[in-house]
Amino acid sequence: MLPEWMQKEDDYHPEKDGSRFALSTIKTIGCAMAQIRVQHGHEKGRTLPPVFKLCLLLILILSVSIARSRILLMACAAMILGYLCTWPAKDILPVVKASSRASLLACLLLLPAMLMRPTLIPNDLFIISKVFLCVSALGIYNHTTQWNHITTALRKLHLPAVFIFTLDLTLKYIVLLGSLINDLLTSVQLRSVGKNQKKYNSIGGVMGITFVRGSEMNQQMYEAMQCRGFTGDYNGL
Amino acid sequence: MHIPENYLSPATCAVMGAAMVPVWVHAVRRVNRDLPKEKMPLLGVGASFSFLSMMFNVPLPGGTTGHAVGGTLIAILFGPDAACIAISIALLLQAVIFGDGGILSFGANCFNMAFVLPYAGYGIYSLIQKASGKKDRHGISYAAAAIGSYAGINLAALCTAIEFGIQPILFHDAAGNALYCPYGLSVSIPAMMIPHLLAAGIVEAAFTIAILAFVRKTSPDLLYGDATKTHTKSHVPLFALTAILIAASPLGLLAQGTAWGEWGADEISAIVTNGKTLGYTPQGLSKGWTLQALLPDYAVSGFNEIIGYILSAIIGTALLIIFFKLLSIPVKKKEKYAA
Repeated sequence: MLPEWMQKEDDYHPEKDGSRFALSTIKTIGCAMAQIRVQHGHEKGRTLPPVFKLCLLLILILSVSIARSRILLMACAAMILGYLCTWPAKDILPVVKASSRASLLACLLLLPAMLMRPTLIPNDLFIISKVFLCVSALGIYNHTTQWNHITTALRKLHLPAVFIFTLDLTLKYIVLLGSLINDLLTSVQLRSVGKNQKKYNSIGGVMGITFVRGSEMNQQMYEAMQCRGFTGDYNGL
Repeated sequence: MHIPENYLSPATCAVMGAAMVPVWVHAVRRVNRDLPKEKMPLLGVGASFSFLSMMFNVPLPGGTTGHAVGGTLIAILFGPDAACIAISIALLLQAVIFGDGGILSFGANCFNMAFVLPYAGYGIYSLIQKASGKKDRHGISYAAAAIGSYAGINLAALCTAIEFGIQPILFHDAAGNALYCPYGLSVSIPAMMIPHLLAAGIVEAAFTIAILAFVRKTSPDLLYGDATKTHTKSHVPLFALTAILIAASPLGLLAQGTAWGEWGADEISAIVTNGKTLGYTPQGLSKGWTLQALLPDYAVSGFNEIIGYILSAIIGTALLIIFFKLLSIPVKKKEKYAA
């Protein structure tokens, strides 16, 4: 026999919770952070050494961005696009997606100038194509090179080890902390039914816990590094 | 046959653009349904054949130049709907990047070259094939392809000539000077049709047959509507042919002179027709909106034209192949969960 209160039909309509703005913003940021995955790339057996590729990328981006002659720009474009079109479709997609987003932004920024046609500024797709090429080149590099090879390449270019170490850790921690924020917010959401008056308290809580967990992880990693013989010298990295 | 910016009134451009919308919708639907996704990257190769063939200018009688379009060829290889899309994309690239054909007149250019040409060409081709009854005889199919492509490009040229020709009738200022294209039907039709009937049509037919024969020999599985031949050969020869066409594209530079109806605003007042120069620049041409293309006329002024031409060919081909490769990615359907 069920107790009486369970047989009664409830008429409970929770009040609509307005202004979820702050919470949903943090949630979006958390999602975005968690999505930054370290690229694995489609690097196959024999490729160019990463240092060489990095230098090539830098030269390419530099020459595209300072190019004033069309022939130089065309040569870079022919090289980048000619290489890209030999790839399988599913590998082209992320590269082209990123670069078309960037060039769309450039297009929006230049749109007023292109429509109004002031006399001094040529009505021209020069800058947009430069943006497209630079981002594509970066995308190609990113896609063909594993992250640890990129760090090796940076190391060979004699960048200070502390810098590389920080970069490496930052990228890893952004992902970890992003997914942590995401989990916390999901649990807050599941537990709060109806109108939550103390929204800003919970935001403070989420950030606080993230900070505490972050410093805990930090401590743990430092201990783990010490166990493996880390003496505070980054040079052997 | 590319109509440049401001030769047609904005109203004409809008009408032609609106006329193309249902065609594109129909073509996209049909292609989604009929063309297997694996064939999409090859459609890119087809589009780049068309792109490259438009770069080979041939000198025409009367000091102008013309070029093949390759529309019937793509229609025979991939079907007329796929050809419509492929040529539209090639035309868009030419308009935006290479300044061949205007952006406002993109709809009109598509109507002529991406709608009239492939559908008419393919229609005639398949009519002749059907009338002859025997499908296996190569001679007949080559003849059908030749006639189809010849008729297709001439019909497209006729449409272009009519679009040019009605401009001075519809749009002129108080002094009677035309606002846009200054030549009426009586000038534009012979000016477009005679060279196309005599030369460009023949070039188009020759181009179509040559490539069709090559494809039939090296990768017969490509031919549209031939479901019996399913085994896939390597398509390396096709890509090799593209590379050869790219390398040979500077031959198009041999033909000097501007195609009829493709003059720049600075050239038009000096054009001689029936012994008279025009003597004025139509207002719409001198004051209209233009977008300066990235690589105007496939070349870089003051630099080696041949290098510019080859680089343009590579960029155009690569962009087309990338675009159609991206189209070949199957669209993921979002799964819906019941609430």
